[in-house]
Amino acid sequence: MILANGKINDSSKQNEVLSTIEDEINLTRQTLTLKSDIVIRALNQLAKKVENGEYNQLITSVLPVNAENYLSQALNMLSLENLESKMHYELNGYQPYSEFLTPQTNGKRLNNQVLPLGTLFHIAAGNVDGLPSYSVAEGLLCGNVNILKLPQADNGITIKILHELIELEPQLAPFVYVFDTPSEDVTAMKKMAEMCDGIVLWGSETAELAVRKMAPVGVKLIEWGPKLSFAYISGNFNCDSDLTKLAEHIALTKQLFCSSCQNILLDTNSDDVVKSFCDRFFPILNCAAEKYCSTSIGSRAENTLKKHCEQFENYIYHTKPLPYNSTNCSITISQSPNLELSKLFCNVIVKKVPQKTLLGTLRKSKHVLQTAALICPDSQRELLADLLTRSGVTKVTFSGDMSAAFIAEPHDGEYSLRRYTRIVSIEE
Amino acid sequence: MDARRKLFRLKDAYSDNGDLLFVNAMKEICKFEYEHCQEYAELCRAVSFKPDDIVDMDSLALLPVIPTLLFKKHTINAHGCGLKITSTSSGTHGNASVISFDLGGLLCGLNMVLRLCRRHKVLSARPVRYIVMGNKMHKDNKTAVTKTAFGATFFAPALSRRYALKYSNGKYSADLSDIIQEVIQYSHGKAPVRFMGFPSYTYFMLSTMAQKNISVRLPKGSMILLAGGWKQFYTQQVDKAELYTLAKNVLGIEESMITEFYGAVEHPIMYTDCKNHHFHVPAYSRVFIRDVDTLKPLGFNQIGIVNLLTPMVKSTPLLSVMTDDLGILHPPCECDCGINTPFLEIIGRCGLQDIKTCAAGAAEILKKTEF
Repeated sequence: MILANGKINDSSKQNEVLSTIEDEINLTRQTLTLKSDIVIRALNQLAKKVENGEYNQLITSVLPVNAENYLSQALNMLSLENLESKMHYELNGYQPYSEFLTPQTNGKRLNNQVLPLGTLFHIAAGNVDGLPSYSVAEGLLCGNVNILKLPQADNGITIKILHELIELEPQLAPFVYVFDTPSEDVTAMKKMAEMCDGIVLWGSETAELAVRKMAPVGVKLIEWGPKLSFAYISGNFNCDSDLTKLAEHIALTKQLFCSSCQNILLDTNSDDVVKSFCDRFFPILNCAAEKYCSTSIGSRAENTLKKHCEQFENYIYHTKPLPYNSTNCSITISQSPNLELSKLFCNVIVKKVPQKTLLGTLRKSKHVLQTAALICPDSQRELLADLLTRSGVTKVTFSGDMSAAFIAEPHDGEYSLRRYTRIVSIEE
Repeated sequence: MDARRKLFRLKDAYSDNGDLLFVNAMKEICKFEYEHCQEYAELCRAVSFKPDDIVDMDSLALLPVIPTLLFKKHTINAHGCGLKITSTSSGTHGNASVISFDLGGLLCGLNMVLRLCRRHKVLSARPVRYIVMGNKMHKDNKTAVTKTAFGATFFAPALSRRYALKYSNGKYSADLSDIIQEVIQYSHGKAPVRFMGFPSYTYFMLSTMAQKNISVRLPKGSMILLAGGWKQFYTQQVDKAELYTLAKNVLGIEESMITEFYGAVEHPIMYTDCKNHHFHVPAYSRVFIRDVDTLKPLGFNQIGIVNLLTPMVKSTPLLSVMTDDLGILHPPCECDCGINTPFLEIIGRCGLQDIKTCAAGAAEILKKTEF
């Protein structure tokens, strides 16, 4: 389906719609101004309707099991107060369309104005339901026209959310275009890219390479991810409350997000400490995995197949039997200290990385570092947080908060709204 | 004559009274693998299974079920099979399986193809123009799907062969706009056109033509043969009915002239859909659907992992393989096409590989970074 100017069209109308939207967008940009308070009000109204249960049927059909906590966090972020705070912190007090004068230089000065970047082309990832709508909402908050290419795995919720938002606030209609164009339709993607001032790219390296090839020269590429996250544990190896929170985070996010814990790095050189940690953590992880076990038959099947294959490899090639392995989760002890992707779905990797080698180890993954959960005695927290951020980590959290939402939280070390605006100068 | 040859010479490709022959052939090949394939013998010993344990259809469920993932990670061959020909899977999600075929197995396969093609009226003496919606054969391409698609261009004499994916500079690239021009040109001729290959490319070509308002009427006898699965376009998988409607509207090809095949290099049996587009189990194959958590066999109409069995190949132990497909086995009574064997419905792939996580993307970057 396609959403253009507030109307839903069949996908077969794609080329027809694409042939006219450049003129429509130009007209919008020439004649209309989208103020952030209008967008904030609409988003807040939508959140209230969700809270009142008006979309329960739709949400239940797409929300992962036991993910109510994340939904309530998301709704909290859409409160008037929090949206206003987001605008304030991210844009450093300068709302879109606000003006400020520069100091005089030789009797001359500029009137600077914060403006939307213009037209944003969002290419969204499919690992988080709601992310494509969120990306468009951020673009709207800054007053941009938004063209969204849906991920292949989109389940139809994005167009429904954005259509509802436009129903609540019809002034948003000319600022939102959504296409379900397949990534292979390079001609259509190129056409969308040619109309935009910035390409907002969420996703994998493959998508990034494809976009770089088709992006017009000079277009601003705004890339989010791909990233890896981990937990670092120093001293408090046996703190069950922290380990439980970490295990629940792993089980709840299924390790699918950039901020999901893939590896647990232990501040030790000792294999005995690693083993003793795994002995303690495995039952905790198993318990969390059972509590939040995946209802998706596909992911359960994949996990079973992987384990079945590993068992057969053990039979044939007499590799060591796998310890810390259950139907719902596993822990793998790796001798390599370097960060790596786990098998996802509650299959975490534990590594030895003593403090003195932590920075050097993490620097080997510098381009993909994101969140680190830090579990350590209070006395060491400041020192270790500093070491992690010096290594390139962009967010340090407590054990259970790796994927929690925070007000005025930067993403991958940057404020998104700053990237979706520009500052123009007019000499006075 | 050995049991395997007897099975593949069965006159009725959908014989519903070949269980004994199938069990005997499985036992025969199982004994061979046990004696000639060290890895298979290790597996049997590990699960306490001996070839003599095969006594009836139920006992086949106890055979070690080798996941296709294992073939993707290791090359497993039996010795003492003489000349072998090697094929690979397409490696959609990374590694490809390397499977070798013995001459006897290939002859069995030839018998099977001829019987099934005749049964499904795919063989014809009338020359046709082929449009292969897949890869052009190349010496560096050993994938079974490419070889199968090329093989299928012999089901009727070929006037010409055009390929949607061409090989140049070491990689394949799609050439759909030229193919569409070719289709328009063929619509003015008299020779039937046969499309053969990936459903995703076929669907993409049809929808592109529909979007551009291109509609032609191909000569009578034109046909669409679909094979190779939806691969990386799985999430775009459309309702089959939509594809049939598009084929009718865009090419003038009726639903009855669209045939889909299902198979894999690890289970080289040519499942061919019936007039109701169901994949009935041919006499050369059996299916168990296994529980996604416990791998225990399930009954009819329950969803699980598809486990396929065949005694066709000696040179690789393909007796019982676990695909990464999710499916349902339906009883024969649910289809009125006249074939009296159960039919397999493929409903998806195990896992969430289609959803590219950002963490997975990061892993790709790490792999390519030299430290």
